[in-house]
Amino acid sequence: MTESIAVVAPPKHERNGFSTTECNNRVVRRRAYLSAVGTGAAAMLAGCQTQRVEESGGTETQGTTTGTATGGDTLVVATYSTFVDAPSTSPGAWLKEQFESEFDATLVYQTPDSEINYYLERAIAGVDFEADVYVGLDTEKLLRVDGRRGEGSYSDQLFRSASGVSGRDTVKSGIEFDPEDRAVPFSTGYISLVWDATADEGSFTAPETFEELAQPETAGRLLAQNPASSTTGQAFMLHTVDQFGADGFLDYWERLRENGVTVLGEWSDSYSAYSNGEAPMVVSYSTDQVFASRADQNLDRHQIRFLNDQAYANPEGAALFRETDTPALAEEFLSFLLEPEIQAGIARRNVTFPAIADAPLSETYDQYAKEPPEPVTFSYQELEGRVGEWTDEWTRRFAEG
Amino acid sequence: MTSRRRRFVAWIGRVVARVRQAGESARRLGEHPERLALPALAATSAALLLVVFYYPVATVFVDAVTVDGEVSFAPIAGVISDSFYVGWLAEAGVPSVSELPSLGRFGFTAWQAALSTVASVALGLPGAWVLARFEFRGRQTLRSLTILPFILPSMLVVVGFYAAFGADGTLNGVLGAVGLPQVDLLPSLSAVVIAHAFYNAPLVTRVVTAAYERVDAGAVETARALGASRRRAFWDVVVPQLLPAVLVGATLTFVFTFASFPIVLALGGTRLATVEVLLFSAIRQLEYGEAAALAVVETGISLVLTAAYLRYERRSQTERSAVRPLSRRELVPSAWRERATWTARRLGSRLAIVGYGAIVIGVFLGPLVSVVYESLVVDGQLTTTAYEFLVDRQRTGASFQVKPWPAVRNSIGFGVATLLVALPAGVAMSVVTTGDSRWSRLVDLLSVAPFAVSGIVVGLGLLRGLVFGVVVFGYRVTVTGPVAITAAHAVGAYPFVVRNVAPALGALDDQLVESARSLGASRLRALVDIELPLIWPGVLAGAAFAFAVSVGEFDATVVLAEGGGTYTMPVAVERYVGRRLGPATAMGTVLLFVTAASFVVLDRVGGGGIGGFGGGNDGGGDRS
Repeated sequence: MTESIAVVAPPKHERNGFSTTECNNRVVRRRAYLSAVGTGAAAMLAGCQTQRVEESGGTETQGTTTGTATGGDTLVVATYSTFVDAPSTSPGAWLKEQFESEFDATLVYQTPDSEINYYLERAIAGVDFEADVYVGLDTEKLLRVDGRRGEGSYSDQLFRSASGVSGRDTVKSGIEFDPEDRAVPFSTGYISLVWDATADEGSFTAPETFEELAQPETAGRLLAQNPASSTTGQAFMLHTVDQFGADGFLDYWERLRENGVTVLGEWSDSYSAYSNGEAPMVVSYSTDQVFASRADQNLDRHQIRFLNDQAYANPEGAALFRETDTPALAEEFLSFLLEPEIQAGIARRNVTFPAIADAPLSETYDQYAKEPPEPVTFSYQELEGRVGEWTDEWTRRFAEG
Repeated sequence: MTSRRRRFVAWIGRVVARVRQAGESARRLGEHPERLALPALAATSAALLLVVFYYPVATVFVDAVTVDGEVSFAPIAGVISDSFYVGWLAEAGVPSVSELPSLGRFGFTAWQAALSTVASVALGLPGAWVLARFEFRGRQTLRSLTILPFILPSMLVVVGFYAAFGADGTLNGVLGAVGLPQVDLLPSLSAVVIAHAFYNAPLVTRVVTAAYERVDAGAVETARALGASRRRAFWDVVVPQLLPAVLVGATLTFVFTFASFPIVLALGGTRLATVEVLLFSAIRQLEYGEAAALAVVETGISLVLTAAYLRYERRSQTERSAVRPLSRRELVPSAWRERATWTARRLGSRLAIVGYGAIVIGVFLGPLVSVVYESLVVDGQLTTTAYEFLVDRQRTGASFQVKPWPAVRNSIGFGVATLLVALPAGVAMSVVTTGDSRWSRLVDLLSVAPFAVSGIVVGLGLLRGLVFGVVVFGYRVTVTGPVAITAAHAVGAYPFVVRNVAPALGALDDQLVESARSLGASRLRALVDIELPLIWPGVLAGAAFAFAVSVGEFDATVVLAEGGGTYTMPVAVERYVGRRLGPATAMGTVLLFVTAASFVVLDRVGGGGIGGFGGGNDGGGDRS
């Protein structure tokens, strides 16, 4: 894993010339909290941090130019919060441990509340950030990132190409989603129906096709999510677009609506409603039984249904920020993510599927993590300029006056 | 009667003694620093408001009035001419009479807010009556706890509602057990309205209770002596004094529910999308022009309403020098065993209270108990796994994970810090803005604005304005971390202090302050020695709200934390949401008990501090 890669970072004055080495010349002023009364002004000062802004125009290059990551480097990995901190299991802590034992480096996580939008906002405002890698991109997020280029100070790519990452070619071709080869898929998941075979005294069976789902027999039995505020909701909507076409999916949703589908805001809202017996079907992940078996729950209440034998695939990727100051280490982190043992470890802890073919997963995992006979997904090009439009149309059609 | 009068006279005596004392101590000390203290405090609050609210929000609102850097009203025009948002208002001509005109999403949002307001007032008013007019064991504790629902993270309310009123919920269990048909309450507009009432009826109760406690018993007695019937005296004397409090409760409820978002999505579903839901979608898809335009229109509507209320509040002010509160009746008459005690009137009122109590238990206690239940029971089995999770996370959690104890500690820390900043700031602001000039009305309105602006917009604004900072003389100045969080909480909290303190201050007899000042006391000393003790219940209610706002705050807390380990209890609850309900509800239970204890302590400490001086009032708020 320590083969030599020569990396020369591009001149870094391109982004308004702000220094990324803020830790060195940052002036931190912390004043004691003065007194209980009238601390307003003091409070403001105490929270302020000032940081020297460098004049632009320098030709400074930075980053490691020798391939092997030098000792004691710090890699800042930006990701979404459940990747490092979920109440069930999350790969974050384990991944950090493995990485630090394999490389002489420290891994630090950043999990801003607005996820990738946070870095996008920073790029637009021309404000530096420390993150070297982003973990948790998908097609839609990548489109969001690219769609904002040209605004404010955000003129160059936010991410750099990952074509030099070793092991890049082991990724299953079916889950590649970035035509420009910045995002490296590291896992994938499928959005399907989870249903409760104990409902109606055990006589309930989930419909097998989209058509049956809109029939009166299943009226009021489905919980779904708002495509504008939830990943599963969006995936399910995209699946209907794939099924009925851009001209027909809204009519299908009209039928679902008349059939009493309940569309809630977030996945967690609908899943807690499902757990409380509100309805016997919920749009969720096809790995649901993995959780259920780990928690010794009744698997009858966690059946998986692939409508029309399909499920929408939502691959997740990681990418290198263009401005990373440790490009070599960052690249090594991406190839580390693709190592078979790491792939299996992430899949188990994130409860998803690996991105490579030969990750050593246990048979029990295979038994409970269900894969659809026919995965469905839209490519970057197919979604470009459309996904926002479809979501808007959906919202306008679905919200009633 | 005579003993009460004697107490009253003694109390007036104490007031006068304090006035003299204030004058003397002021003469002794000299008063140069004091003279500047109040204006300085008010100016500081204004600066705080500017830095952690107006500037950040402006960085978002600017997108509503610019397109590609040029001033343009296209985004706002786009929203108010879109029939999806405003219904027939966007179309030429008058709608046909035969069909109900649709007012689009804004119309629906206002409609659900109006329904929620009616429900909150209807549910909250009887509570004020019971708390202000009856004496019973635990009354004070109950009043301290009324504010509790106000701080609950929406996720817990959603879980509580599904567990209590869902298809397999407690309510249906009870109905089934007694052979009644099951009800399908969720998701629906009614569920949303009830959840909004769950949040806001306590606010109405708290505000009106305080006003009720300030109704002058003398005025009621005079009316009765002049021959007015009980009912007549109530309508002519009591109601006009309660009305401003009811209206402030209603106005705040409307403004809060007008910008409701997670509750609507989770209990009503996407088909009931409010403006805030659409605003969230727009921000998530980075359509800032549309989002900002929606926020501007939304804020405008809320501010117009608030301005109307403030105008009314100032008009309806009457000056009173001292108030002898109405005496409380025993909820359970001491002679309850005797048949003669139970007149039709007494029986009727007690039965009404029992009925109201049943509704309160259902609407408030139901969801709260359900949260605790969900944390303890899995598949019908009692288990402590959820709490073991909390202990385990505390002991073995990584540094970048959210742990329960720091969350508790931070919540209390921010709550106390917010209180210490918001209370003086709010009181100073109240003193400075008392009076009926156009200027003071404007300042009042500007300080209420934090209620009216969407939390999503404030969050984005804080990110752009404070976390990213501004470049000043070659230095990038950023404002993050605990102090910034406290400042943001204080800005959200101090309007509550102002709304509790300003009207009470305005209602005090000016002569009290004037005589103190003529004896040489500074404005500050007159305030601290004379006015504050007299309006202490209002100050205390303001403090309780300030603490509550801080404990319940979410958006600013996560945005300004910048990964600094400054997470609070609501953040921990949100973080522990997963496939199983246990972890989040267990953390929610911790949150419930910690905040409940805090409110009781706050009321006890505050009530004990100046107890006795405030006449018969021993706590509670005042927004009359």
